[in-house]
Amino acid sequence: MKEKLIQLVGKENVAGDAETLASFAGDKSFSKSIEPRFVVKVKNAAQVQKLVKWANETKTPLVPVSSGGPHYRGDTVPSVPEAVIVDLSGMKKILSINRTHRVAIVEPGVTYGELQKALEKKGLTLPTSLAPRATKSVLTSVLETEPRLNSLHQWCFLDPLRCVEVTWGDGNRMYTGEAGGSTMDLGKQWAQEKWQLEPTGPMMLDFYRMLTGAQGTMGIVTWASVKCEILPQIHKMYLVPATKLEDLVDFAYRVIRLRFSDEFMLMNGSYLASLLGKTPEEIRALRAELPQWVALVGIAGRDLLPEERVAAQEADIAETAQQFGLVMKSAVDGARGTDVLDAVINPSGETFWKESFKGSFQDIFFTTTLDKTPKYIDEMFRLAEEAGYPTSDIGIYLQPQNMGTSYHCEFTLPYDAGSAEEAKRLKKLFTKASEELSAMGAYYLRPYGIWSKLQLNRDTQSASVLKDLKNIFDPSSIMNPGKLSNY
Amino acid sequence: MPLEDFRPMMDRCSNCLNCKWIPFDKVKSMRFGENCPSVCYYNFNTYSARGRFRLGQIILDEDAEYSDEVTKVVHSCMTCGACDVACKVCRYNLEPLDHNIALKADAVKKGKILPEQQVMIQALKDEKTMIPGAVKANRGDWAKGLGLKDSFKEKAEVTFFPGCKYSYDKKLQGVARSAVELLLDAGVDVGTLGEAETCCAGRAHQMGFINEFDERADANIKAFKIAGVKTIVTPCSDCYHTFKRLYAMRGLDIEVLHIVEYIDRLISEGKIKFTKSVPMTVTYHDPCHLGRQGEQYIPWEGKEKKILNQIHTWDPKRPRYNGAYGIYDAPRNILNAIPGIKLVEMERIRENSWCCGAGGGCSETYPEFSAWTAGERITEANSTGAEALVTACPWCESNFANAVDENGKKIQVFDIIELVRRAL
Amino acid sequence: MTLVKEEIYQEFEDVVGKRNISRDAAILESYRVIPAQSSDHRGPYLQKTPVPQMVILPETTEEVQAIVRLCNKYGIQFKASTTFWSVAGYIGGDYAVQLDMRRMKKFEIDSKNMIAVIEPYVIAGALQAETMKVGLTINIPGVGCSSSVVASTSGWVGFGPTSISMGCASENLLGAEWVLPNGEILRTGSLGAGSGWFCGEGPGPSTRGILRGKQGTAGSFGICTRMSIRLHPWPGPTFIPTRGLVPAYKADLPDNFKAYTLCFPTWDAYADAVNRLHQNDILYLGHRQFTMFGRDIKTAMIMILNDPDKQLADIPALCEDPYLKEQNEKMKIDIQVIIAGTTKRDTEYKEKALNKILEMTGGWKSELMMDKDLTDYVLLYLIRLGHKNLNFVMCGGYEGNFGLSPNVFVSASVMEEASALKKKWEDETNAIAAVGGDSDMGSICIMGGGGSTGWEFFTHFDSHETASVKGTADFFNATQEWMSEKGLGVDMGKWNQSARRPDGYFYTQEEQDEMFSKLPQPLVTAYQYKVREAFNPNDLCGSYYRTLSAKKLEQIP
Repeated sequence: MKEKLIQLVGKENVAGDAETLASFAGDKSFSKSIEPRFVVKVKNAAQVQKLVKWANETKTPLVPVSSGGPHYRGDTVPSVPEAVIVDLSGMKKILSINRTHRVAIVEPGVTYGELQKALEKKGLTLPTSLAPRATKSVLTSVLETEPRLNSLHQWCFLDPLRCVEVTWGDGNRMYTGEAGGSTMDLGKQWAQEKWQLEPTGPMMLDFYRMLTGAQGTMGIVTWASVKCEILPQIHKMYLVPATKLEDLVDFAYRVIRLRFSDEFMLMNGSYLASLLGKTPEEIRALRAELPQWVALVGIAGRDLLPEERVAAQEADIAETAQQFGLVMKSAVDGARGTDVLDAVINPSGETFWKESFKGSFQDIFFTTTLDKTPKYIDEMFRLAEEAGYPTSDIGIYLQPQNMGTSYHCEFTLPYDAGSAEEAKRLKKLFTKASEELSAMGAYYLRPYGIWSKLQLNRDTQSASVLKDLKNIFDPSSIMNPGKLSNY
Repeated sequence: MPLEDFRPMMDRCSNCLNCKWIPFDKVKSMRFGENCPSVCYYNFNTYSARGRFRLGQIILDEDAEYSDEVTKVVHSCMTCGACDVACKVCRYNLEPLDHNIALKADAVKKGKILPEQQVMIQALKDEKTMIPGAVKANRGDWAKGLGLKDSFKEKAEVTFFPGCKYSYDKKLQGVARSAVELLLDAGVDVGTLGEAETCCAGRAHQMGFINEFDERADANIKAFKIAGVKTIVTPCSDCYHTFKRLYAMRGLDIEVLHIVEYIDRLISEGKIKFTKSVPMTVTYHDPCHLGRQGEQYIPWEGKEKKILNQIHTWDPKRPRYNGAYGIYDAPRNILNAIPGIKLVEMERIRENSWCCGAGGGCSETYPEFSAWTAGERITEANSTGAEALVTACPWCESNFANAVDENGKKIQVFDIIELVRRAL
Repeated sequence: MTLVKEEIYQEFEDVVGKRNISRDAAILESYRVIPAQSSDHRGPYLQKTPVPQMVILPETTEEVQAIVRLCNKYGIQFKASTTFWSVAGYIGGDYAVQLDMRRMKKFEIDSKNMIAVIEPYVIAGALQAETMKVGLTINIPGVGCSSSVVASTSGWVGFGPTSISMGCASENLLGAEWVLPNGEILRTGSLGAGSGWFCGEGPGPSTRGILRGKQGTAGSFGICTRMSIRLHPWPGPTFIPTRGLVPAYKADLPDNFKAYTLCFPTWDAYADAVNRLHQNDILYLGHRQFTMFGRDIKTAMIMILNDPDKQLADIPALCEDPYLKEQNEKMKIDIQVIIAGTTKRDTEYKEKALNKILEMTGGWKSELMMDKDLTDYVLLYLIRLGHKNLNFVMCGGYEGNFGLSPNVFVSASVMEEASALKKKWEDETNAIAAVGGDSDMGSICIMGGGGSTGWEFFTHFDSHETASVKGTADFFNATQEWMSEKGLGVDMGKWNQSARRPDGYFYTQEEQDEMFSKLPQPLVTAYQYKVREAFNPNDLCGSYYRTLSAKKLEQIP
């Protein structure tokens, strides 16, 4: 196998040493650890395609990985033996940035920091997920539909993802969306003033939807076009504190309905404390100071009359808050809006912020509607108490999506993975909470690990359809087998 | 116009669905947005105006047998004209209503006649009325004791024409009497046509019996001339449309007024003064033939002309009967003038009114369909919270009186004349 | 010709009841369409679509499923339509069932989460009216408010005047309940496990990806029986108050609604302005509307539509009116926009920003269109989009062609040339209405947040006159030739030529193979073939779902 791999990608790009293999064998989730056979670094789509074709011939499982660690979802860990990791993190080109059409094309290895820096030079920015880790691949982040902070600019749920170049599990390579309707050559498309903007189709099938949330089980994406926005000239963040989530719910509904704000999210004090604090002590101190709950309201002025826009929105949202007995502030005890903004829209530092409190964490997240979140929170707290897990540690993040029609509901549970007792407790809590919340109707849109069985067992028709699609796009089942309940 | 002359229209109909809804600008709900009773009841697209245009092509091309189903499609059109109004919001060269009637005329020509229609037409021939069982000799019974002038013997300023429904329906005769009493009390010089009065035959036209209609119409026009009728006032919307549009096409040149127009005029002249309160919340139903089909006939002669290669027009401009100038305000003015009356409107009003179900002869030929149609209107009326449904046509009143809404509930039904009388 | 045996027909009748099925010859004939009398971005053709074997009207998803299962059992093709406007909704084979979805008209609105759940016969105009009652509204695609929301969201492209602020049809689709061609029911996204209608993606890869695509499957991939769509805020009253005589109704909306016709000195300035409008979240709606009538007669038509006493015969005189002539010239390069502020400050900011764009691009607001009656007419026209039948106003025939490019800069650079080509045909042949060339109409944006525009030239012809129909088809051949020379791709008048044959029948697989092997990326249709095989193994839904067989794919070098 090694010789063949060397033939495909070059000697320096094939690793089989123990250390490298171990680093890909497991992650910080509760997924089973299986060591891969080799780790292969790829540089371009041609190599990827050759690799996939070879994998089909030899029935070798492939696991694509684009981001650096720490990994927490289990999707980058082989679920079967003899797998080859396809490491795309070295593909770091930003293939184009088009200011007029506000679109950029990135390779898998490009991180948020790298992209935002390049975009800034052209007066653009990419709608980000919340404080992504420094090593996070932008491409993977958008493919895995990590929620964006400005739901009002999420006209399509999958924004900002547009077109991609993909090598499917069967070894065929194509472009998706608008890009799939023309010659498979970006340069030629650009010469025709085509900018890979429209993501759907290009005909009757939304190819890119075969890849979103797929955890690399359908194919390997080697570039993606992403819709950017104009870099704000003025960018502020306000905080609306409350003692209970329920106090913020109607306010949130109203603000989104009025189509006001840019970034908008709700979080509890614990979550915010972890975001802002660098050490456990800082985080504890912040928890004591910060309000129980807070709505984060970002307001941006970009391009046209930025001051006027900001002033109008500031005043209107503040009035709206008042109508619900709330106050919109530029700072609360423990946090200033400017610091919070900085924290949410920029990538995390070297230590991923969620690890700052106890060194490790587990997330439970799903999609629902805002009005249902209190019941899920109550249940999460009940289960935590039952398990002896300190509820004050639970971070809660509620992010409107898709112009407010649904919400990403996330529980972050920090713990010391080095403590066998804590790890055991947390694993039990994680499993039980995942099951109970699912039974209550939580929708695991991104079904990592055990969530995939929970979700697909309740939705056998979707499971059947996904299986049929898998058979089409990855007939030899070489792409990250074992994920998504093996369909 | 014979059916084949409608071929260009059949070919120019664009399938757009507009004929199944009231003009979209006016839609306020899903429940009360549709406008065509026949497609709403029978559901097959064929029962819509568009479907009937397509059916016209099929008949002309002989692409299918003229089955009983086809006969039903043709004759179940209530000729309410709602499709016509909706179509003409955007189209200037289609006449869905005229085409629907042409289909019926073609059906009659081909002998595709329903037994109930036979009875009505026979009655028209024999008793000069289309009410089965009614006899000519009793036509004037409703007016006994009123001392009305016979226009043939004594000139009257206004000739009152009750129509068959008011003349023969014992439940409604009182309304006709009230109407005349109103006029007399207001000092109007009123007469009738006495024994010369016959059916206007408008319903024959609606059912496609064009020859029979023409015959009766010409006879009536002659009678009006002999009697020196200058102004005819009728409380029946069917008769109103028939005189104002269809007879006018055949040369009738007199003033035709509906009783609501006349009462409205009398109120504004101070000749009717209300002294009593009628505390009631009511909703008003615009009869098809008073409202959207209540526009005056305008003589026209010309030909088709294309301009700018393919823009289809006529030279000179052809009158456009699209319901814009129907009689909608007069009845509302009256209701608003009656002390105590609170008028609440349904969603489908004025030119977009939903048919009562009696049109096109359907109250006789398809009674279940007719009752359902009326029931739909009662549902709409009840949805306003009104205590009563008021209208200005005996056919509407009669059809509503027996109908129930989707929950089995009825509503009080009045002719507007009845409320006017109560307020005097 | 009746091909369905009596006992098979009986099985279908048992599903829906005698009243809701027909095989009367005339009824069946009435469910054929002549493409020249409709629009399908394919013709215009005079050949009717085939005769169905029966027409059936189901009322529930279960009935639809039963029908589809029977079709699979007996190998009968099927197609569902609701409004029957587009040719796409009609069957395309001799052994086929036509479903008429008219009886499925239920709806529910979750006002809090801004979601509506609807069945096929809930048309856009009615749904908009219902949602306005609770302060919400919907994106109505350019086809107009008489369209079935389910059909346009599940089956066709679906962008419209409000797409700039609300997104296009596919972006507004949440969950869907779909009877697949094989008779299974797929419920997508969060609906699948019974969590609710709020999310159409996932779980994991989105199963809805097989149902719609960009162009929509036009009813050729099973039948969508219910779906949920995203709703949007409506900062207006609970219904649109109107005044005026039919057809010149006008809206009486409050001050936070502003309608303008923006005019520009050059196409470059226009493109620049459109691009800025894409970037700035200020528009509620943007549509180049009235040019659909033609450059030369635009203002004349606006006057006619606003006056109940005027008709098409008034066009020549109005065109000679010096004031209208002047305004027409000023409105040569124009677009209609609406601002709808949710607060006073919001309205003011948006107005200011709009004025700023005009300042930056040398544009101006049309003086004619600032008249109150006209403004109120435009507000009603564009918000309700209830006059789409004006597509056919000239004579009866319409088809949209050219299409140019979704890149507004590209379109702007070729617009005059396209206009001149059309004008040449208008002048040199009699086939199409001579309206001055440019009759380009369309959405400022075809997806939420901007980036792409969607246009079509309105070509008006007489669907009754064979020479006019044939001449129009010839014109479309010429425009396709021009589009190809310019590298602009498929002319909009021919988008669906690869979906259905000129004779009205669906293409065979061999015919599709011949066409789609020539695509720049034939894998698109090759995978669609595999998906079709997996979910529509008996191939019962027709060729709007384009496919390239594996055998043919292998032959492509």
